Amino acid sequence: MATLDLMSISKSFGSAKVLHDISLAINDKEFVVFVGPSGCGKSTLLRIIAGLEEATSGQIMIGGEDVSTAHPVDRGISMVFQSYALYPHLSVYENIAFPLRVQKMEKAELDARVQQAAGILQLTDKLQLKPGQLSGGQRQRVAIGRSIVRNPKVFLFDEPLSNLDAALRGDMRVELSQLHRSLDATMVYVTHDQIEAMTMADRIVVLNGGRVEQFGTPMELYHHPKTKFVAQFIGQPNMNLIPATVSAADPTGVKVALSGGHEMVLPVDGGHISTGDRVEVGIRPEHVHIGDGGFPISVNVLERLGGVSITYGTVGDGVRFCASLPGDAQVQEGQPLALNVSPEDCHVFDASGDVLRRKAAPAIAVNG
Amino acid sequence: MMDKYTKLQLVGIYAAVTVFLIFILLPFFEMFMASLRPLEHLFRSPYQFWSDDFSFQAYSDMWETVPLLGRYIFNSVFIATAVTLLTMIFVVPAAYAYARLDFPFKNGSLAIFLGVNMFTGAVLLIPLYRVLRSIGLLNTYWAMIIPGVAFLIPTGIWLLRSYLEKIPRELEEAAFVDGASRLYTLRRVVLPLATPGLIVVGTAVFIGAYAQQFLFAITFNQQRELQPLPAGLFEFIGYQDVTWNQMMAAALTGILPVMVIFLFLQKYLVAGLTAGAVKE
Repeated sequence: MATLDLMSISKSFGSAKVLHDISLAINDKEFVVFVGPSGCGKSTLLRIIAGLEEATSGQIMIGGEDVSTAHPVDRGISMVFQSYALYPHLSVYENIAFPLRVQKMEKAELDARVQQAAGILQLTDKLQLKPGQLSGGQRQRVAIGRSIVRNPKVFLFDEPLSNLDAALRGDMRVELSQLHRSLDATMVYVTHDQIEAMTMADRIVVLNGGRVEQFGTPMELYHHPKTKFVAQFIGQPNMNLIPATVSAADPTGVKVALSGGHEMVLPVDGGHISTGDRVEVGIRPEHVHIGDGGFPISVNVLERLGGVSITYGTVGDGVRFCASLPGDAQVQEGQPLALNVSPEDCHVFDASGDVLRRKAAPAIAVNG
Repeated sequence: MMDKYTKLQLVGIYAAVTVFLIFILLPFFEMFMASLRPLEHLFRSPYQFWSDDFSFQAYSDMWETVPLLGRYIFNSVFIATAVTLLTMIFVVPAAYAYARLDFPFKNGSLAIFLGVNMFTGAVLLIPLYRVLRSIGLLNTYWAMIIPGVAFLIPTGIWLLRSYLEKIPRELEEAAFVDGASRLYTLRRVVLPLATPGLIVVGTAVFIGAYAQQFLFAITFNQQRELQPLPAGLFEFIGYQDVTWNQMMAAALTGILPVMVIFLFLQKYLVAGLTAGAVKE
């Protein structure tokens, strides 16, 4: 059992507070991704879990044991670094064997472990090479090999794919997911790339400004973002936010006038807002379709990707709007377009950026 | 390498390099020419740049004029080597600490080291003499080695520290996460990667030690057998006359070991001085 519990972790560098009271409970064998913009504290949090930084306050429990002040090895973690951190003067074999050499492991067992790790990662014929002779993806695998020989309880990954090109990144994502399944270990993965987060994670922690914005399954975050920040961070292209004014509100629904005048009744819990409040209506680009009776946008730029046509334009008083229309949509740059969206697909955020609970959202999301 | 100089600029660059090289190399050339001439020709007037009786006679005569010459050359190399080894033993851990650890008065002490470099040994000769006398080290090899080490440590720390700082921190963090101690990491990861830097610093220290011997030798040592070459060269100055040609020959022979080392280590020196400038 290797659960990982963070209890009220805070971290300050001098007077700058970078992590605010973070508490998370990560299950055994779970793949959890920390995602957020640069500077949100996700790497610092990972380094605190690894034992490379000390938390200013709070506790870290691994497998139910308090390891807040323990050495990384005693915590039972291993870490894969963004730059791979391979030792350039050592062969692939010695790089993978390094943690075992530190333990002064007996030669036969060491060799068996290295060969096993190399087998899993398809590096068996590369063992005598130096890291400099390998491609980016192979180096990444060596770094992972070095982390698995020690059989740690928790694997930590610090943006391991950000140095790879896009195609390779896609392949490595699949490999990492398979590795997680075959190793059956708890993994914590830091990235700024929401696609990596959505594709690999069992659950995602969205961090912003040193605080947890939301912790949930990918679909939970997609369908039920708690804040405007999460809503915009998850999903590609980003969710559109249109300023609106509330003209009527009660717990069963909210009537709003979008910027530009278009009126909609949205099935969200309007219990705590009142008429005249300024809100923002969030609409995902993939949820709109061309149709009469909707709101007009003027199309500025059109990106045809074959499968979808991404349309950029403005709504109302110059609010930027993006629509992802299926196929080879009948749209032209410079022409106005009427877009429709069903009210159930809309999100509403109050002035402080918190969501109004959706009443008609997909049910699968809640339990993940 | 970008090569975007105009012809005129190239001519200027080469002209400047030529002037510089002549300035540096002419003394060596003149030493060599003087060492080839019979003694009486050295004082011939008018001066002849080229004479037809050049010979290597001085190179064999010098060993008889100064019987201890071989010993002096050995002493020079021995003292410089000992100084280099001792200096490196102190410099490596110190430079690593300055590159990686945080401790009180870190920048202040670094500044003081730089300040020490501004004093030449000459300013401190008299106090040093008293120190060496009271610990009874005058007239031993140690009298020339210890001050040499003391004056070279600051330079060594400054040079090596900047090299060690260029080694990615993540490598050490990875080793730490894998359970390696600081010393294990230093030995297995940092020092192997710093080899070019160590060679650069070692060479710089050796050359520094070779050059500074003279002052310490003539001040702290009266024993002929322990004198290094620069002090030993004085024996070519006799009561009656100075055998200039042999002195020049001996000086050139003494420089030879350093030149050989330089030739072998040249590629490391260039690599070391530019390391980290370009991301690999």
